[in-house]
Amino acid sequence: MRPPLLKAVRDSLRYGYAVGRVRALEVRVLRDATYERLVDAPSFAEQKRILSDTAYGPHLEGVQTADGVERGLEAAMHEVYGLVSDLGLPEPIVRFFRVRHDFANLRARLKAEVLGADAQSDLSSLGTVPPEVVAGPVEALPEHLRRVAQEVLEALAELDERSERDGGAVAGSLAKLEVVDGIVERAAYAELASLAKASGSEFLREYVSLQVDLANVKRVLRSRRRAEPLAEVEPRLLEGGRISRARLAAAYQLPLEELAERLASERALRGVAVEELLALDRLDVAADALAVRMMREGRAVPLGAEPVVAYVLAREAEVRQLRVLLIGKLAGLGAEELRARLRKVYVSRG
Amino acid sequence: MKDVILGMSGTDWALLGAGVAAILGGIGSAIGITIASSTASGILSEDGSKFGKLLPLAAMPGTQGIYGFIAAVLVVIFFNVLGGKVDLPAAIGFKVFLACLPVGFLCLVSAIYQGMTGAAAAGIVAADQPAPALIFPALVETYAVLSLIVTILMLLGLQTAAQALQ
Repeated sequence: MRPPLLKAVRDSLRYGYAVGRVRALEVRVLRDATYERLVDAPSFAEQKRILSDTAYGPHLEGVQTADGVERGLEAAMHEVYGLVSDLGLPEPIVRFFRVRHDFANLRARLKAEVLGADAQSDLSSLGTVPPEVVAGPVEALPEHLRRVAQEVLEALAELDERSERDGGAVAGSLAKLEVVDGIVERAAYAELASLAKASGSEFLREYVSLQVDLANVKRVLRSRRRAEPLAEVEPRLLEGGRISRARLAAAYQLPLEELAERLASERALRGVAVEELLALDRLDVAADALAVRMMREGRAVPLGAEPVVAYVLAREAEVRQLRVLLIGKLAGLGAEELRARLRKVYVSRG
Repeated sequence: MKDVILGMSGTDWALLGAGVAAILGGIGSAIGITIASSTASGILSEDGSKFGKLLPLAAMPGTQGIYGFIAAVLVVIFFNVLGGKVDLPAAIGFKVFLACLPVGFLCLVSAIYQGMTGAAAAGIVAADQPAPALIFPALVETYAVLSLIVTILMLLGLQTAAQALQ
């Protein structure tokens, strides 16, 4: 094992420059007060004026439509990912952020195929693979996506065969979409876990583990509410969380209230109340709060990968918030409706 | 019979001590400055106006190298190495070597930690906080200064002992 001083020196030398840049950029992350002004802004034009002095200003100039907002926010994220590439961080960390968009694109493409729609215009350009390649033939996809796409196509064909065998009809779209979601989600988390491990960052590993736990807990609670049999739920649970699949499966047998109590006592969900687990809308907010807490902890680390990872995740959260606020305003939502959709972002300070 | 310890004469031991103090302090300072400077460079690449506030943070770990250098110079002066007539008894020379260890090792470690503290304190400057960022790395400096004082006191004692033997 490496002595702590040597590890600290190595991390300081490897991440010192990156942390310095991020410390300087953190002060430009939007504050709570800015979000409040965006919520209360009377029009989209006023929102753009508020954002004109921020990193988003140049990307939103002249934008009038929801599509334009999407493109502007995507361009802002390109800048963030470009920064990550420039910082000289280990390759798995750089890849970690972008590869999630690859899987999101693949999921969108496969779902569009199930529904007979065209997905290319909805695909993000933030991944490591260009949208036109993701939308193209499966054989042309890079290895990490081709394997998953082939698995999904085989599972869909099998589902059709089974449905025809059982009832003579082709399987419904809903069942097919669930197959797509399940396989792509599992592959995405496996890839992220592998990148986190390769990065050598304990923080990144814990982040993936937390995301897996949250995805599993949401699935368990939603399925339990619908009284789905354990045999259907268990195979869909993801590997790699702090709460093992066996523990989740054992808890699944309990009544809903007791299941929530059992989950609330898990260390991974420290700070989440039973009532939050029982109310679906509050569960999403509580899950976000857990991720936010983790990012805060990462930001407090003086030197290492943590502040950089936390900064990028915070910018991603910021873009999600802005998307809600800007497109919501364009769609005519009022201040109260927008405020209800607003969540606390990690670095936002009063 | 030759007056040696582990095959080295008193003068050899004294010079080794001086070398250890200068080398370890210098290594610590080089690493500490690199750590603090890399973070400072990151901040400056986004905001060049903070150079004045960041420079002391990056430079502060350099003092340990100076302390090691001072200890080495004192050995050279106290035991008349520059005079060319050096004939220290092995026991005294070995003790001079031991006396140089506090400043050598403490400056090596404290300079590295001071670099890390300076890098962390650079975040205060980056965030435009009014708190004085220089205070925290300065606290680490205390122990490097104490180790230099210990080394100097021991060298003074050994100088007196060496003079009494002549």
